[in-house]
Amino acid sequence: MAISSKSQVLSLYKILLKESKQFPSYNYRTYALRRVRDAFRENKNVDDPKTLEILLNRAWDSLAVIQRQVAIGKLYSAQKTVVETEGMKKAS
Amino acid sequence: MRTPNYLDSAPVFNRPLVARCPQDAAAALRLARRPLSALSCSRPERRSDQAWISGSLVQQCRQYGDLPPLTLENIKDRVMYVLKLYDKISPEKLQVSSHFMKDLGLDSLDQVEIIMAMEDEFGFEIPDAEAEKLMTPEEIVQYIANKKDVYE
Repeated sequence: MAISSKSQVLSLYKILLKESKQFPSYNYRTYALRRVRDAFRENKNVDDPKTLEILLNRAWDSLAVIQRQVAIGKLYSAQKTVVETEGMKKAS
Repeated sequence: MRTPNYLDSAPVFNRPLVARCPQDAAAALRLARRPLSALSCSRPERRSDQAWISGSLVQQCRQYGDLPPLTLENIKDRVMYVLKLYDKISPEKLQVSSHFMKDLGLDSLDQVEIIMAMEDEFGFEIPDAEAEKLMTPEEIVQYIANKKDVYE
């Protein structure tokens, strides 16, 4: 794993959020976005390089999980939930 | 998901190719917000070509659809609108020149989220190296204007 720096962490954050937004399912999407935000915010002030490395590895693994699940979700997508269609109706 | 209201006219389909077309027919064909892949093909709206068909002069209409051109004012309004929707920013404190970290008390994670919202709004990618320098709404507007060749 490369030496962690602030910009690398921010790039990872952005990549995770981008992948999470692609979930077709409302539940998975909102959970993934919320969990990514909370996890990064919670560990904002960590300094110790060992814990940093553990956390970053966890983030990369989560990214792989999200990517796989997004692909599966797109293969077997279901109908949009009522919450989503309501939002779209209000917007238009 | 909200859609900006600056685009009016509904799309017009089934327009006859050969017809008497009013002056504002081209304007009426402006389609609603399209995905990124369609944004790149912006062709100028042609005036109608006249042709002789079966002895009588008929105007041929050819119309193209595109988004309205970006102006600095328009970019600024959209940027401020997106920022007002962000729940960590209080709309009263928000100004065009307010610094995200110093004035509004956000941190770098929030700034990443804001830049992502801007990417979604304007439909093009902002690379990380340039994104981390954008710290006020004014800078964001300038950056987008530079990228999209908008000047006054």
